Amino acid sequence: MTNNFVVEIDSISKRFSGHVAVAELSLRVPRGAVYGLLGPNGAGKTTSIRMMMNITQPDAGVIRLFGDDKGGRHHSARIGYLPEERGLYRKMKVLEHLVFLAEAKGVRRHEAERKANEWLDRMGLGDWKRRKVEELSKGMQQKVQFIGTMLHEPELLILDEPFSGLDPINQQVLKETIVQLARGGTTVIFSTHQMEVAEKICDHVCIIARGTKVLDGALADVKRRHGGTHVAVAFEDGASGATAMKSVSDLVAKADDSGVFAELTLLDGVDPQRLLDRFVGAGIRLRRFERIEPSLHRIFLDLAGPEAAAPERRETSNA
Amino acid sequence: MHKVWAVVRREFLERVRTKWFIISTILGPVFFVGMGVLPSLLLARKGRASDIVVVHEHSPTLAERVEVALNRSGRFRVQRESVATLSEAVLDTLTQRVRREDIDGFLILSAATIESGRSEYRGRNVSSLSDISVLERSVRQAVIIERLNRRGVDPGVVQEAQSGIDLTTLRISRRGSTGESGQATFFLGYGLSLILYIVILAYGITVMRSVIQEKQDRIIEILISSLKPFQLMLGKVIGVGGVGMVQMAVWAAFGFATMKYRTQLVGLFGADASAARSVQLPALGAELMLLTLVYFLLGYFLYSALFAVVGAAVNNETEAGQAQQPVMMVLIVTLFIAIAALNDPASELAVIGSMIPFSAPILMPVRLAIGDVPTQQIGLSLASMVAGVAAIVWVAARIYRIGILMYGKRPSPRELLRWARQS
Repeated sequence: MTNNFVVEIDSISKRFSGHVAVAELSLRVPRGAVYGLLGPNGAGKTTSIRMMMNITQPDAGVIRLFGDDKGGRHHSARIGYLPEERGLYRKMKVLEHLVFLAEAKGVRRHEAERKANEWLDRMGLGDWKRRKVEELSKGMQQKVQFIGTMLHEPELLILDEPFSGLDPINQQVLKETIVQLARGGTTVIFSTHQMEVAEKICDHVCIIARGTKVLDGALADVKRRHGGTHVAVAFEDGASGATAMKSVSDLVAKADDSGVFAELTLLDGVDPQRLLDRFVGAGIRLRRFERIEPSLHRIFLDLAGPEAAAPERRETSNA
Repeated sequence: MHKVWAVVRREFLERVRTKWFIISTILGPVFFVGMGVLPSLLLARKGRASDIVVVHEHSPTLAERVEVALNRSGRFRVQRESVATLSEAVLDTLTQRVRREDIDGFLILSAATIESGRSEYRGRNVSSLSDISVLERSVRQAVIIERLNRRGVDPGVVQEAQSGIDLTTLRISRRGSTGESGQATFFLGYGLSLILYIVILAYGITVMRSVIQEKQDRIIEILISSLKPFQLMLGKVIGVGGVGMVQMAVWAAFGFATMKYRTQLVGLFGADASAARSVQLPALGAELMLLTLVYFLLGYFLYSALFAVVGAAVNNETEAGQAQQPVMMVLIVTLFIAIAALNDPASELAVIGSMIPFSAPILMPVRLAIGDVPTQQIGLSLASMVAGVAAIVWVAARIYRIGILMYGKRPSPRELLRWARQS
């Protein structure tokens, strides 16, 4: 291997009947990274992922995976892909299903069977392996779906909105699995619009909106670059929050006000100490007052906010 | 290839294990046994001879001739009754006897029967075609003889003219007379066209359902990230085709066993063994079977590719019901041409049809079964089939590749063409 990037995308574009889904997108995913592809709905995340997986072809641009441009399908044995549209053959038996998915990726049958058994036991589905998929609860089906994605021990995991629609228990299971695999050296790319989740597990992010890249890089760099003075405050209750916000409105540039909690971006040159003085002067009781780095959510709103109001597109194709 | 094999395996095993497969595989042979044994049984069925009264207005010679003919047939036991006039009262009495199940019916020969050729049968059961035809034949013969006698024709001549005529039809092929009857050949061609139609349709639709199922289960995207759409389609068509082959092999085995042990089987049903031999069954040559298999496979590939396109273009089975109509129509028209071709296998329509890839898979085997087909026609037909199948599978795969990822509005034919051209 001559380079350290598992995925290199050079200015890919894709349009669907007059609508531009992705425009001139470029990004690089370093080996071993947990890479968050962030953006509002309809930003082009799924289309980009599908182009990596050879499900659709870019109109222009080049995608290199593992250093060549043969595409995701060619490397499918090294990639675990969880599409946004989850699906399993309902009538198939669990174990046979997993073996088939692995075989379709090019894994040998006995190898696939051994690993499927291992994973089913590990996920607590050992007793269900001879049952049909449709007999399983939704939560169990979600687990089967993860196993299908990870069974063949891929070097690269591509997960499209992996946390959406999961119950809290499976969210935790998935998160732990991702962290575990990442520590073992697996590169993970996942798309989401939930910034809180991304902030916790990503070390690299790329924010896209309306098909174009807004920003990318290591999470720490992104935060440092964003600049500004940011303060997190928590109030006793919503009522005092309202009074407090009014009392400092002339010092604050932007506020992400959640009622009893708020993340404030101060105007240039304003000392956070002045903010605190105002609160104390107004007799506001605080539970928290902290100078912070901007949250990913704040950065996202600042950069993709206006873009996020993209007009809703009626999807007739699954593109 | 390993990936395609995984799809073949899945399609095959998932289908072979279904109840539908097991039931139809078992019911098929039951049907064949029925076809093999039933005609013999029906013929052998002596049944109860019907008791009838032949009532006549003083035409004893005519009545006697009818009686003799009817008795000879073994289907009727006849009593003669002579009346002065065929009054309502006479007919009522006889009707009462039928109602009491004293007799099964009565045949009325009036004084005018010989001149007019009219007679009447009234009975409980007038729907047995063979019984009615025996009655008709007996009356007709008797009337003809009576008429001739009245004109003074020599009874010896009448006797001679009466001797039976029996037309036997034998099929002549390139290898000379086959000893196969015309009727048997007809049934072979008829059966072949129906079986090919049903099997191609049934398994084509199975392929279509399989495509729809993958769309509905939303699993298609995972598959397409691992396999090329063409690999998936190929695996599916081969897998489902394999199920069809297994089913037909089971049927064929049962069919042959039934034919071979027909005598014993008929015996099991309590009929005379000679009854089995009296029904002529068509001979199936190795050449015919091999060519039929080749045509079936080519036809199945062609139609299953078309059905795969239908499956890829729709969202669910309800929509498929409509969208499959054009493909079904082509098959149905082919079946009609095939049935018409049974009467004239060398007609222009049949010959042209057996050269067109859409209709050849049914028409050519039918033509081969009922008559000789020039070798160059077989060659031309096979060449056009192979070329046609290759072209259609190619176009179908291109539409399929786009269609399987589309949800929502059903594409128009023009859109389908655009998909086929899209790179």
